[in-house]
Amino acid sequence: MRRLRPELLQWYGLFGAALAWSAQQVVGFGVAYADCTAASRRWGLDVVTWEIVLMVVGLTFALLAELAAVNVLLATHRLDYDDPPPQGRRHFFAYAAALGNLLFITAILLNGVGALSNATCRPA
Amino acid sequence: MSSVPYTQRVAKPNGWWGMVVFVATEATLFGTLIGSYYDLRFKTPRWPPTGVPDPKLAMPLILLGVLVSTSVPVQLASVFARAGRTGATQLSLLVALVVQSGYLAMQIHLYVDDLHRFSPQQSAYASIYFTLVGAHHAHVLVGVLLEAWLLLRLFGGNTAYRAVGVQGAAFYWHAVNALAVAVTLVQLSPSL
Amino acid sequence: MRSRTERLELIWHERPGLLGWLTTVDHKRIGLLYFFTTLVFFGAGGVEALLIRTQLAGPNGTVLSPEAFDQVMTMHGVTMIFLFIIPMTTGAFGNYLLPLMIGARDMAFPRLNALSYWLFLGSGVFLYAGLLMRKGPDCGWFCYTPLNTKEYDPGLNADFYALGLIFNSMSTTAGALNFIVTIFKLRAPGMSFNRMPLFVFAMLAVSFSLIFALPPLTTDLVFLELQRKVGFHFFDVVHGGDALLWQHLFWLFGHPEVYIIILPAMGIATSIIPTFAKRKMVAFPLVALAELLVAFIGFGVWGHHMFATGLSIGTLVFFAAASMMVVIPSTIQIYAWLFTVNLGRPEFRAPLLFIGGFIALFVIGGLSGIMFAAIPFDQATTDTYFVVAHFHFIIFGAAVFPILGGMYYWFPKVTGHMYHERSAQASFWVTFVGTLLTFFPMHIVGLLGMTRRVYTYHAGFGWDAYNLSETIGAFILAAGLLMIFANLLWSRFRGPPSGPDPFFGGTLEWTTASPPPPYNFPVIPTVTSPYPNWDRAQGELVLDLDHGHETPATTVRDGHLDEILKMPSESGWPIVLALAVTVLFIMLLTAHFVVAGIFAGVAGCVLVAWHVHEPAEA
Repeated sequence: MRRLRPELLQWYGLFGAALAWSAQQVVGFGVAYADCTAASRRWGLDVVTWEIVLMVVGLTFALLAELAAVNVLLATHRLDYDDPPPQGRRHFFAYAAALGNLLFITAILLNGVGALSNATCRPA
Repeated sequence: MSSVPYTQRVAKPNGWWGMVVFVATEATLFGTLIGSYYDLRFKTPRWPPTGVPDPKLAMPLILLGVLVSTSVPVQLASVFARAGRTGATQLSLLVALVVQSGYLAMQIHLYVDDLHRFSPQQSAYASIYFTLVGAHHAHVLVGVLLEAWLLLRLFGGNTAYRAVGVQGAAFYWHAVNALAVAVTLVQLSPSL
Repeated sequence: MRSRTERLELIWHERPGLLGWLTTVDHKRIGLLYFFTTLVFFGAGGVEALLIRTQLAGPNGTVLSPEAFDQVMTMHGVTMIFLFIIPMTTGAFGNYLLPLMIGARDMAFPRLNALSYWLFLGSGVFLYAGLLMRKGPDCGWFCYTPLNTKEYDPGLNADFYALGLIFNSMSTTAGALNFIVTIFKLRAPGMSFNRMPLFVFAMLAVSFSLIFALPPLTTDLVFLELQRKVGFHFFDVVHGGDALLWQHLFWLFGHPEVYIIILPAMGIATSIIPTFAKRKMVAFPLVALAELLVAFIGFGVWGHHMFATGLSIGTLVFFAAASMMVVIPSTIQIYAWLFTVNLGRPEFRAPLLFIGGFIALFVIGGLSGIMFAAIPFDQATTDTYFVVAHFHFIIFGAAVFPILGGMYYWFPKVTGHMYHERSAQASFWVTFVGTLLTFFPMHIVGLLGMTRRVYTYHAGFGWDAYNLSETIGAFILAAGLLMIFANLLWSRFRGPPSGPDPFFGGTLEWTTASPPPPYNFPVIPTVTSPYPNWDRAQGELVLDLDHGHETPATTVRDGHLDEILKMPSESGWPIVLALAVTVLFIMLLTAHFVVAGIFAGVAGCVLVAWHVHEPAEA
């Protein structure tokens, strides 16, 4: 397990925030879409609650991914991005992910704020 | 009949990776079919529309269980092929083939039955129902043909190439079975 | 006693003449087949463009009837996207260069590679058969419902569109699959993920995008054909269908498609810049990830094509947010490119000039694009020429310019001859000026209210002068392109020999002869950096692999040698299978479903015959 940890951290750091945003994008859009159709009255959808939960859960997973990426980055900070694998490869991905994850965190926030500010069913 | 053990590679073989990528496209296809099902469903107050019976639960769920259970012989076939045990591989493939063919025959019978009761030319519900379920059956048919081909080929002995073929086919079947669960649950959802 | 190169030559050479081309599985020859075929389609699309521009040069044009205009305009879009740019970047550049850049002797599935080409050719012929029969697709390249239904488009036009594109997507999917497995498994020993060239990252991003983007299009087109030919109901509201379903599925494909168009161009740019700046790419890991991020985030923005459809604001904000985010990875790349040039010692030869033009045009196109992320602005400019301006700056400026630069850049490698530098630079300036003159006025005329896809317009709106200058620009642009092709053609026969590495490039293709021998590398290199030609490795491992038709496979993440692969030789089955599939699609078009089923069976038999011959045992 101890040998596996830096590897798992690197991959979670790379994919975690991306997957969190994807889930929020698909489910958040789906719930907002269903809200404006016949379905929502039958199923009693509460868009506001859904969007809050999605944003909070999404942010949690994304921030943890960022922590993971930064952790691996610090552990490999003496290395260059083209150094021998596995450490060099982990440094490469952690370096890229540490910056890329900020993008997904911002996107999750924007999605949440946007959805909550516009949670009525009127055309754009 | 030779029994050549498989090379000592560490990574998964190319053919397996190829099957994984192919399954990714097919899974995405089913994702869009299911997404379309719900898009049409959200728009429609009565689903199924009047005159169309609600889906029955028992038979489809039993058949689903039967199909998913074939993941066991199919996985065994893959393990035996890696170990170079030709006879055992063929037996496992044959067991899977028989059960899956029986499943498919039953499903086609039910499909034709449904077509007599409601027509895709009458409603969007029926259109998406027959397309989604039909796509699933088509994938089962392809899997059956692939298995039959491998079974026949193995009479010429096991080779590393054929062993990779069995591994790829096993992955395909696990994916088809997982998709079968999704498709069945979606198709049954008005009655759940 | 034969030398190593003689032995390799004997093992890897293919039969000569026409039969050799029909049965080739060599990635370089398949790349060349793609290159020339896509150039023919580029010409066709270009003629269509000039017809459109001539018709629109002045008000009340009479060059094309409305029906003819609809077909020419639709085929211009379909040709350029499906028959030119994707096959050129992936099929030609990708196929030729990828194995060379990763140190392999071929792609993972050489016969599948050949099949992708023959399927591509079949689909192109199928689509153009429609146009030549005056039943060509005429509903616009995105062919919306209800315009595409039997009520409004009763002839075969929309069926050519739907079936032609399903056919084409089979080719592209096969190609993408091949690229992914090749990139994962066939990299040279030592080439772990962090040591892959940026071009390879771009190809990986494109291939994954294609795998996930094409199925929504297929679903959409299958629904359309079922509705048109068999009477199903997916898009018609009367029977419970949803007209917007077409658009959702289309743009789920269509938006990633445009990133698919631009990513290889970014890959080409990131290959040319370090060579001519004589400096490794600044922030290499960020540029690599940016290429993957653009592709990934691009899947979440499709609704921005539907801002004017009446969907609720609560759903559309997700797409507005993602559309703003997707700009950032591209911006990171632009800064990295500019820093690399600035911090290096740049030599502005023709390839780098085209990249400079690309950056300028990409910035303009990107800025007009980001404006659409603001929903109110988008609603005001939807379906106007402002959109046409935006996407032509991106597609022509940002996707085609690197292709043109790449043609010059890799010309010495592919032909062994050097192109003529002075006239190459002149050809850049003519093309660049022509591009600006053609597409910039479209921003203005769009804001002045000129709508898209109109076959003519009346005088008095203030659009005339802009349209005329666009037409003049189009002919200047065509002249620039002709200059490029004349240069390449002349240089192919009269250019001085270039040697293996005329530009001191950093990647592996420059380490072998020009043109490369059939076996690519006499010795499989061991790699320690993404610029192996600059950072020559002193690896202990030396792989000759000169006793069989072989190339090494390595582990996916870290590039450790894993096994020696046996590669298949030339085969006639790919072209035969493509022929069977072509007949299958013709039968579907003409509603001969039973015969179509028979040909599906024939295709199955061909697949069986194909797999009877297995590459020899290890």
